[in-house]
Amino acid sequence: MTLVADLRAVLGDGDVMEEPVELHLFSKDASSLMRGSATCVVFPSNASEVAEVVRIAERHQVPIVARGAGTGLAAGASPTEGGIVMVTTALKEIDLDVANRTAWVGAGVINLDLTRAAMSHGLYFAPDPSSQSACTIGGNVANNSGGPHCLSEGSTTSHVLGVEVVLAGGEIIVLGGQAPDPPGLDLKGVIVGSEGTLGIVTRALVRLLPVEPDVRTLLMGFPTVEDSARAVSDVIAAGLVPAALELMDQRMCQAVENWLQAGLPVDAAAVLLAEVVGETEGVVSQAELIAGIARANHAMSVEIAETEAHRALLWKGRKSAFGSVAQLAPDYYLHDAVVPRTRLVETMKAVYEIGDRHGLTMLNVFHAGDGNLHPLIAFDASDPELSEIVRQAGDEIVAVCLAVGGALSGEHGIGVEKRDLMPSNFSELDLDAQARLKEVFDPMGTFNPNKVLPQGSRCFDFGGARRELPEGVWV
Amino acid sequence: MTYHPAHISWLEVEIPGAPDSAFHLAPKTVRDVESILRYCTERDLVVQVWGGGTHSGYGDPAKPDFVMSMERMGEVETWEPDDLTIVVGAGARIDQVEAMLSERNQTLVFPERSRGASIGGVIAAGVSSLRRGRLYATRERVLEVTMITGDGRVVRSGGRVVKNVTGYDLHRLAVGAFGSLGVIVSVCLKLLPTPPGAATVDIDDIGQAGVIARPLSVLETDGRTRVYLQGTEAEVAAQVDRLGGRSVPGLDWPADPEGSWEWSIRVPPASTGDAIARLPAGWRYLALHGVGEVRAASESHEGAEDLRSWAEGLGGNLVVSQGDPALFDPWGRPPPGLDLQRRMVAEFDPRRILNPGRLPGGV
Repeated sequence: MTLVADLRAVLGDGDVMEEPVELHLFSKDASSLMRGSATCVVFPSNASEVAEVVRIAERHQVPIVARGAGTGLAAGASPTEGGIVMVTTALKEIDLDVANRTAWVGAGVINLDLTRAAMSHGLYFAPDPSSQSACTIGGNVANNSGGPHCLSEGSTTSHVLGVEVVLAGGEIIVLGGQAPDPPGLDLKGVIVGSEGTLGIVTRALVRLLPVEPDVRTLLMGFPTVEDSARAVSDVIAAGLVPAALELMDQRMCQAVENWLQAGLPVDAAAVLLAEVVGETEGVVSQAELIAGIARANHAMSVEIAETEAHRALLWKGRKSAFGSVAQLAPDYYLHDAVVPRTRLVETMKAVYEIGDRHGLTMLNVFHAGDGNLHPLIAFDASDPELSEIVRQAGDEIVAVCLAVGGALSGEHGIGVEKRDLMPSNFSELDLDAQARLKEVFDPMGTFNPNKVLPQGSRCFDFGGARRELPEGVWV
Repeated sequence: MTYHPAHISWLEVEIPGAPDSAFHLAPKTVRDVESILRYCTERDLVVQVWGGGTHSGYGDPAKPDFVMSMERMGEVETWEPDDLTIVVGAGARIDQVEAMLSERNQTLVFPERSRGASIGGVIAAGVSSLRRGRLYATRERVLEVTMITGDGRVVRSGGRVVKNVTGYDLHRLAVGAFGSLGVIVSVCLKLLPTPPGAATVDIDDIGQAGVIARPLSVLETDGRTRVYLQGTEAEVAAQVDRLGGRSVPGLDWPADPEGSWEWSIRVPPASTGDAIARLPAGWRYLALHGVGEVRAASESHEGAEDLRSWAEGLGGNLVVSQGDPALFDPWGRPPPGLDLQRRMVAEFDPRRILNPGRLPGGV
């Protein structure tokens, strides 16, 4: 039987698509770069069906690319090697355990829907990527997603206590659980963030946090980027870890204000958005402390939101940043790199210089509190020459970040976008170790092949005891 | 001593508490560790990696030929207070590093009463601070790990930034792996600032703690329940009042209970109280409410089997952290994914020379 016929025998005709329109729709994620080409698209509705699809794929020796909503930005869900695109959006269960503050959540549940379901019990799911109204928990697990509020609570990996995952061979296994510190190697911990290359996560057991009793949001305008960055350092030095600490540069504020008048100060070189949460006495005193630090660092304006409506307006400016870029150009290329917080100012300067040198429209909005930069280049992707310049500027930005001790990606993942840059971040032995992990989980190369690790990563074999020792070793 | 190779005798040290049937040595450099491990892999010699010796009671360790102390590899390489990160050798003592960090009001959020434990040892054993309910477990603090695999490869994972999704998280796999993948030689850790206000408040009943949304910890020791608070001075003062006011300033951490047998009971958070109620008579305990972790000590293992089957029925575990593996199985029910675990370990330590017997399930 053909691949499609085998799949239809298990999933039914309606959940296996091979028409050109569907294949085109699912041929890429939200990255503007890389389009793949799948044989078919499948929509399994439970873990057993996922396991069946895995067995069929292995029998036909074709790859599987799992995807949720496709909001990824690194082409991680692009079927670049053909095969099956598996859409997990039918895995919809949410099973809350309020007493233990956890939930088993289907991979296809939308991030914000989980928090909405938990909110009626005074709980929420901490990771809040900007795409949270669209992205799925499965995608969050695959990419170890972050978001503005991960500053104090950590990224997705800190909130996934267990996973149900379909492994090579179609075995369904549950790793981790509600009890802390499950004995043995933390396999769940490496599955989170593995971009669908080790297996297919069908459900995740997530930690839910109690909604904090009170919140204050501050918007602060600074005359220079340096002043704003120093304020960030001083806030941390004062013993505070705000729930969020976001920075927008002047160009970004102007773009947002032109579009929806969120009240951002357009005369400031940089705007910091800070949020503190906790008991009322705590947030009041913390907000005062942060406002004082901002003024000491020459803040031109300090605005503190005390009502939910005011807070929502301040956040609206931040969360609409990417949308506002549409006024400037039809497309944008959003970067994601991370540097030590002490190197933020010099890195931003270097990033602006790269944009100016290439004559590109560059805007910045990012998570200043954790050093996670998101330079954004607005451009027209239908111009191939310009697209090439944008790509080249991107490589230069990455080089600048690595040179100050940063890393390739803070929250968007490696996928295809940064796969071939991995040797600039890791040694051959480091990559070889990662390739061994991939081989242990996926010996046939079924799961999202040719992502994350560049070809040839698995190149060392010390082979244990019977191998000759390298020269120069003194044993 | 079974093995006493002349050419590494200059690394020989005395390691108090370590099995004295083995050759004791303390490497000074990454290159030393690489060479020792290749030597041992060549000859199938078992290596026990030694930090502070405080977590050596886990599992059923094989008799080592070598004990390798990390005591000479505990230098602070870089501390960036403004970045809230530190890069430190695995052999560094937690209490010494915390003392240094406290000068700038920062903390590792590692175990408070560390009894001489090393940073590498605590990471390898996967044990956590009493503040973990609010500030998360040890695994969330580890940003980068450099380890030497059993066959002598230097492998680094993660990075020196506080948020990172570059490549697979092998550094998280090293947490709680008891050195089975490699000897941890240095780590980059995420620090947290210590807020100015702190108090420890006595309460009569665990239900009272509910008036605080997210306390730093709620600990119960042998009938005494206390809430630990941290924040701005104003915040802490107001919270102390709401809890009834019976407080002392600062964080007064209890010690882990000690005995011939020491236990770690791990259950879903809401079952912490039940776990305390089910402890056999005479067991002393330190329970982390809201976490599901109970540390206990006793003079015998009587009653442990019943407690274990109850905990395992909830998806939890009863783990022996100090005892006699010949008398009572140290781990209990083997974890899922044993085949994957075995194959992972084989890729990193092909001759299985590193700390064999420490992991559950005979991995």
